[in-house]
Amino acid sequence: MNRFVRWPWLAGPLAVAAAAIAFLELGGVTPGRGAVLVTLVLWTGMAQGSVAVVAAAEITGARWVASVKRELLAAAHLLTFLAALFLLVWPLLDLYPWHASPGAWLGPRFFFGRNLALLAATAGAAHLFARRAVAPGAPAKRSAFLYLLCFVASQSLVAFDWVMSLAYPWVSSMFGLYFIVEALYAGVALAGLIFLLLDRDARAREDGRWVGARRDVALLAFGFSVLWGGLFFAQFMLIWYGNLPEEVGFVAERLASSPTRQLAFAFVAACFGAPFLGLLPARAKRSPLALGAVSATLLLGLLSEKLVFMLPAVPLSFGVLALQNLLLAGIWIVLVLGFGQTGSIPKVGAGAAGSGGGLA
Amino acid sequence: MTRLQFESREEFLERLRALVEGGTPPHALTVQMPYEVPEVAILLREPPDRLRFFALFGAIGGFGGGLALTLYSVIGWPIVVGGKPIVSWPPFLLIGYLLTILLGSLGAFAGFLLMARLPSPSGLSEGGAFPDRFVIVVNEEAGE
Amino acid sequence: MAEPRAGQGLEADVLSALRRPGWRYFAGLGLTALLALMLFALWGRMIWLGVGLTGKNNPVGWAMLITNFVFWVGIAHSGTLISAVLFLFRAKFRTSFNRSAEAMTVIALVVASLFPLIHLGRVWVFYFLLPYPSERLLWPNFRSPLPWDVFAINTYLIVSLVFFYVGMIPDLAIVRRHLPGLRGRIYGVLSLGWQGTSEQWRHYARLYLILAAFATPLVASVHSIVSWDFAVSIVPGWHTTIFAPYFVAGAILSGTAMVLTLTIPMRRWLGLERYVLVDHFEGIAKILLFTSLIVTYSYVVEHGLALYGHNPFEHDQYLYRAVGDYRALFAIMLVCNSLLPLTLFVRRWRRSLPWLFTLGILVNVGMWVERFVIIVASLSHDYDPYAWGTYTFSLTEAGITVGSFGLFFLLFLLFSRLLPVLSMTEVKQGLAEHREPPR
Repeated sequence: MNRFVRWPWLAGPLAVAAAAIAFLELGGVTPGRGAVLVTLVLWTGMAQGSVAVVAAAEITGARWVASVKRELLAAAHLLTFLAALFLLVWPLLDLYPWHASPGAWLGPRFFFGRNLALLAATAGAAHLFARRAVAPGAPAKRSAFLYLLCFVASQSLVAFDWVMSLAYPWVSSMFGLYFIVEALYAGVALAGLIFLLLDRDARAREDGRWVGARRDVALLAFGFSVLWGGLFFAQFMLIWYGNLPEEVGFVAERLASSPTRQLAFAFVAACFGAPFLGLLPARAKRSPLALGAVSATLLLGLLSEKLVFMLPAVPLSFGVLALQNLLLAGIWIVLVLGFGQTGSIPKVGAGAAGSGGGLA
Repeated sequence: MTRLQFESREEFLERLRALVEGGTPPHALTVQMPYEVPEVAILLREPPDRLRFFALFGAIGGFGGGLALTLYSVIGWPIVVGGKPIVSWPPFLLIGYLLTILLGSLGAFAGFLLMARLPSPSGLSEGGAFPDRFVIVVNEEAGE
Repeated sequence: MAEPRAGQGLEADVLSALRRPGWRYFAGLGLTALLALMLFALWGRMIWLGVGLTGKNNPVGWAMLITNFVFWVGIAHSGTLISAVLFLFRAKFRTSFNRSAEAMTVIALVVASLFPLIHLGRVWVFYFLLPYPSERLLWPNFRSPLPWDVFAINTYLIVSLVFFYVGMIPDLAIVRRHLPGLRGRIYGVLSLGWQGTSEQWRHYARLYLILAAFATPLVASVHSIVSWDFAVSIVPGWHTTIFAPYFVAGAILSGTAMVLTLTIPMRRWLGLERYVLVDHFEGIAKILLFTSLIVTYSYVVEHGLALYGHNPFEHDQYLYRAVGDYRALFAIMLVCNSLLPLTLFVRRWRRSLPWLFTLGILVNVGMWVERFVIIVASLSHDYDPYAWGTYTFSLTEAGITVGSFGLFFLLFLLFSRLLPVLSMTEVKQGLAEHREPPR
C-alpha cells in the first residue's frame, strides 16, 4: 500500500479552492488587496518546511520522523498548489516600491519568473523526494539533499524578494536564513499538530514508538524556540544598536502604530515565549495537547510576524486573509488525513490499508 | 553481607531482578556499575531526580541577578552612553541570559555534588576504588 | 611505529598513554614549549615597550591580535558541539571524540582569553571590564559588546570546564585504580572518590544532560556575541545582521577542522585504532561539509546584498575585498572554506584520513584568513577615502600568533599524557549496548 499519488478525487476540491482564493483576491470583493501575498509567504514557509524537516531527518537518520513521515510529506502536494497560486501575485507586483523604476535584479518579469521557477522546482523536488522517502529501502539521502538545496534557494528568495524588497532599499542580510529557520520551525509545528490530530488513532494501535517520537518533536520545538529567539534577537539588536536611519525606519514604522505594534509583541510571545515556557516542564513535553497547543500558537505567531513585516506596504483586507488561510488550512488537513498513513502498521478495526480520508 | 560480582551486564541485571522480585528490599542493596545502566534505577525504585530544581533555581537566580546587576548599574548613575536609552533592554537581557546559563550550570553541579555525596570519604579510602565490573552488595542486617 | 601494547581491553589501551612516553613526545613538548615561551616573551616585550610594536595604526586599529582572538574562540565551539549538541541528538559516533574535543574547547578558550589582554596593551587595567562595586560607583558599560564578551567568554570557560571535569570523574576513578602510589592518590582526589553506585550514576546522567542542555545555546550565543563586537559598529562590511549565524557556522567549521587535525595523529600515536573508527571521522567530516555550505551561503548573501541596495559604502567594501589590496587572502579564503570542503561530497575522500587531516589544516588556514580579511579589509577601506590605509603585520604579532599555536599544542600534548583521551565509560557503555541492545 504505497500509492502516494491519488489525484483524481483531490483535483476537484483543489480547483474549487483555487477559484475561491482567486475570486476573493481579484474579484473586487473588498477594497483591500494583497492578502494572497501574505498567505503565500506564510504557507510556502510551512509547506516547504514540512518537507524540509523530513529531508533533514532522512539525512541525519533521525528516528522520530518514521511516525509522521507520510503526513508531513503530504505537504508536497500543497507545494504544487501554492506554485499555481503564485500566478495571482502577478497583478500585485505594483505594490513593490521598485516597480516604477525596475533594475537588473528587481524587475517585474525577472522577479516573477525566478520565483515561479523556484517554487515549481521546489515542488518538483519535493515530489521526487516524497516518492523516494516512502519507498522501502535505504534512506533517500540524495533526493533529500536536492530538495534541501531548492528549499534553501526558494525560501531565501521568499525572504529577500517577496518580503524584504517590499521595504526597498532596506536590507537585512540575515533575512534569508531567518526565513529558512522559520520554515523548519513551522515544519516542526506542523508535526506537532499532526501528533495531536492523529493521537486517538495511535493510541488505539498502542504504538510505543509514537510516544517517543512525539517527545522528540516537543524537544525539537523547544530547541527551535531558543534558536528562533536567538536569531530574532540578533536581527533586532543589531538594528537597534546601529541606530542607522536607513535601517531603523523599518522597525520604527512598525512599532509606531497599530496593529503592527501589537502584532509585534504578540509574535515574540507566540514564537518564543509560548513554546519555551510551555514546553519547559517535563510533563508538557510528553503531552499531546501541550504540543498541539504550542504548535498552533506558534503558527499563528508566524502569521502575525509576516503581517508585521508586510502590512505597511500591503493594504490587505483581514477578512480575505482569514478566509484564504482557513481554506489552505482545510486543504492541508485533508491532505494529511488523505495521504498520510500513520506509520506502517495498519489501522485497528475495519479499515482498508490507506484511509479514504475524513475524520471518521 | 554478601558481595556479588559480574562481568556481564545481562547476568548482573538478571540477578538484580531476581533479588528484588525475591523480596530483598531495594534499600538493602548497594549496586556499583562501571557505566550507567538505566534499568537499575527502575528496578531499585529510586525516586525521580530532583537535580533539575537546582538547575532551575540557579537559572532563575542568574536571570534575575543579571537584570538586577545591569539595571542597578544604570539607574544609580544615569548617563547616556552612545545615544542609547538609560534602560537598554537588548543588552541587559543578553547579560541576563548569560548569567542564566552560568548559574544554572553551577547550580546543577552543586546539586550533583550534594546529592551524589561527593567528595566521598569512603570512596577516597584505600578499599573504595571504582570497580571495573558490576557489584551487588546485599546488606543482610537491613534485609527482611 | 608503536610496540605491541601490553594488556588487552579498552582501559589498558587508553591508559597506556599515561605511562612514560617516548622521545618523540618530549621533542614535541619541547618545541611547543619554546613557541609558547616565545609568545610570553614577545608579550612581555610589548608590555615594556608599548603597543607600537604591533603593526596596528589608523585606520586599522584591530588586526592580527583580534583575528587570533576570534579564531581561537571559534575553535572552542566545535568541542562543545561534539560533546553537548551531539549528545542531545544521540549521535553514537561522538564518544570517540568528545573527551579530546572538550579538552580542545577548554584549551582554546584559555589561549583565546589571552588575546584581549595582549591587545589591551596596558594589561594591568584589565579589571576595568569586570563588574565589581567600585569606590566611584563606576560600572562597566553593559551596552557595549566588550563586557558582553567578558561575560560570554567567562561563562563559556566555566561551563566548559565543569562539563569537561564532570565527564571525566568516572574515568579519573578508573585511572586511580590502575596507577600506584602518589599518582594514583592524586587521581583519586580528582575523582572525588567516585564509586559508581547506582544513585551516583543516576545523578551523574542527569547532570550531564542538564549541562549539555545549557552548553548547547552557549555554542550558538558565544560566537554570536563575539561577532557582535564587529556587527554593532557601523563599519561597512561589519554592520550586517547575518554575522551571528555566519560566525557560528564558521566557528564550527574551523573547530571540526581542528578536531580532525588533532585526533587523526593522536589515534595513530596512542594506538586507538580499535575505538576511533573511520566511520566516526566520516561523521565529523559531514559536519564540516555542512557548516562549510552555510559559510558559502553567507558569502553569497553578503556579497549579493552589497550590490543590491543603495549603499555605496557596502558596495565598495565588498568590491575592495574581492579585487583590492587583500585579494590574494580573499581568494585563499574562498578556496579553503568554500571549494575544498566540497570534496567531502565524495565518499572515498570523506573516509580518507590523510585527506581529512590535510583538509583540516587548510580549512583552518582559510578560516584564519577569513577573520583577517573581515577585520582588516573593512577597517582599511571604510567611509572616508582620506582615511583609507593598509596594514602590514609586525614580527611581534606574527611571533605571538605562532606562539599561540605553540601554547595550544603544548597544552593539548600535556592533556594527552596526563588525562584519559577517550571517554572510557561512555565507550564501554556504547560497546555493551551494541553487543546486547537494552531490552
